[in-house]
Amino acid sequence: MASLANKPDLIVNGKRIDGRDFDELRPIKIEAGMLKNADGSAYVEWGNNKILAGVYGPKEVFPRHMADPAKAIIKCRYTMAPFSSLAEHGRTGPNRRAIEISKVTKEVFENVVMLNEFPNSEIDIFIEVLQGDGGTRAAGITAASVALANAGIYMRDLVYAVSAGRIEDKIVLDFNMIEDNYSEADMPIAVAPRNNEILLLQMDGGLTREQLKQAIGMVLEAGKKISAMQKEALNENYRKVAEQYGQK
Amino acid sequence: MREIVVPGEAVADRPVRMHNTYIDGGKTYAATVGLFDREHNEIIPLEGGWVPHIEDVVVGIVKTSKNSVYEIDLSYFKRSILIASKFERHPLKVGEAIEASIKDIEDRKTIILYRERVLNGGTMMEVKASKVPRIIGKNSTMVNQISELTGASITVGRNGIVWLRGGNVELAAEAILKIENEAHIKGLTERIRMMLEDRTRKGE
Amino acid sequence: MEAIDIIKSNYIRELLTNGVREDARGPNDFRGVSIKPGIIEHAEGSAQVDLGATKVLAGVKLVMGEPMADTPDQGTISMAAELLPLASAEYETGPPSPQSIELARVVDRGIRAGNCVDLADLLVAEGKAWSVFVDLYILNYAGNLFDASELAVMSALMNTKVPKYEDDKVVREERIKDIKLDNIVTSATFAKIGDHVLLDMNRNEENAADARLTVATDGSAVRAMQKGLSGGISVKEIDDMVGIALAKHGELKNLMEKATKRSL
Repeated sequence: MASLANKPDLIVNGKRIDGRDFDELRPIKIEAGMLKNADGSAYVEWGNNKILAGVYGPKEVFPRHMADPAKAIIKCRYTMAPFSSLAEHGRTGPNRRAIEISKVTKEVFENVVMLNEFPNSEIDIFIEVLQGDGGTRAAGITAASVALANAGIYMRDLVYAVSAGRIEDKIVLDFNMIEDNYSEADMPIAVAPRNNEILLLQMDGGLTREQLKQAIGMVLEAGKKISAMQKEALNENYRKVAEQYGQK
Repeated sequence: MREIVVPGEAVADRPVRMHNTYIDGGKTYAATVGLFDREHNEIIPLEGGWVPHIEDVVVGIVKTSKNSVYEIDLSYFKRSILIASKFERHPLKVGEAIEASIKDIEDRKTIILYRERVLNGGTMMEVKASKVPRIIGKNSTMVNQISELTGASITVGRNGIVWLRGGNVELAAEAILKIENEAHIKGLTERIRMMLEDRTRKGE
Repeated sequence: MEAIDIIKSNYIRELLTNGVREDARGPNDFRGVSIKPGIIEHAEGSAQVDLGATKVLAGVKLVMGEPMADTPDQGTISMAAELLPLASAEYETGPPSPQSIELARVVDRGIRAGNCVDLADLLVAEGKAWSVFVDLYILNYAGNLFDASELAVMSALMNTKVPKYEDDKVVREERIKDIKLDNIVTSATFAKIGDHVLLDMNRNEENAADARLTVATDGSAVRAMQKGLSGGISVKEIDDMVGIALAKHGELKNLMEKATKRSL
């Protein structure tokens, strides 16, 4: 958390620092399948976040002794590029924060990927934050979902993620970096939209039980929009070709 | 009527046994990105690698040979083995292309091949395994049509490797790429026939 | 998972169909808690916490350093966890595992978000401030490292004394005051096994768990949460767990205050 001495006014006249309403998402753009080498890929622009997700597999397990004869194993690597932040030059590769995010992200996809369809194999998920501006793990999970679907890997659901939290006494959706730095609480959440099960939940700051419920409610509402955009991204490739023939 | 579905999308509000779906709480949901044909209760996947099944016809290259046991490269991560029959008269040579069928998948790990046939000469191309069913077509109508109109011999492996020889190979390959790209658009067989007829008339 | 663990997991599930836990506890009962503060005299603060058979030791060292550039008016706190190879056959030597990193970061978030340590009070002069290093040593793993660790770190901090700093030197032998604390945070970790939700899982319950949720609170607000494992949790279940975590705070806080003879 940054020093409170420089804290800007995060809410002015009922609007947020970037002009959004409390329950408003940043503009989101999702594209599927732009990396030809990967079995599946997705690119997400989410506010000023620019995130690339790539999926390889099912493929041979490495090292071999980790192979599970009953199901696939998932490996996940979330990293932020050294140039991704407005602040200092970062280091290459995953730091402790990135290792934790990789772990909880992996657990999200172990839930929805139908692992027993791919015994003795490995599925690799790579999430590269090219530019980060708050909420990168949520945007990364949203992108990785699309990349997995784009790879044709059997899944029970198309997971989305977004964060909600508190600024002063207001519950607010989808923090940008400045809000993230100075907010009173932040809570990234990943959801399986089919049954609204929570697959990732992290939080720090301070929220009462009531505020927590309100924040989750806000996430589930915004999730409908994110889900629609994910589906749209997956359809887009096929639609382009179909339109050449005047079909929908 | 065909529509594009994504994982988790309900395709029936009752349990229906269908490829590329799963059943939960009495309903049927898509498990992959695909074209859902409501009339025929069928999802044709639009993405995805090959999942080997017994009796799949595959195309590969002999990688190693030892005491009449061959390892075959199917461009797939699982090992595949071909054991020569007792009556083998002409042993396979390393580097040779073959067509074969899957006899068994041992321990869900090693693919065992049989009914091999050497593919002499010709060329190979790789396509998305998810598009192979469309390239073959119902009762092989699509691949037969390409063969007839181009004069090329074609073997389509379920593993996404296609072998072609003779006739107008370039045109046949072009038709296959077109199918790969347009697999989800209806009237495909007709469109491919028109393209091939059109191009052969021009004397290509 | 070893074959024996799978058999034990199935046993745990079977018992739960009759609403019974392996050690006959109620679903929202902690195992027995023992807190021994100050057992490492060389450290500025320490505490060993036993939660059932889980044993965790936290040590606090204070080092004179500089404030961070973006917070020039404060000292710093940092946390690391070691899953010692002697704590369990499955722990190996080597670089920190994702599991140990997660543990340290989740405990850290609770203490940090709860503003437990008064960081401004760690500043001794311009450009001079204490850096508080908290190291968690896992001595025996028997399930639920999160709550045992949160208790150990909080108790160790309550036990921490600040050394004398004189003529640009730290005088370790002389400890002048308690470290200034503004809040006490405890956590409650739940395992979801099928449709059952259990507080403070033992090792077999943790092996059987589909999902895990840690809720750190100061009794009035939730300060940190972390969901783990691949299973899903419903919104209703989260709300229930938060309710229990808030209710359990007082009990744990009392135990720490009694043991460390320090209350807030």
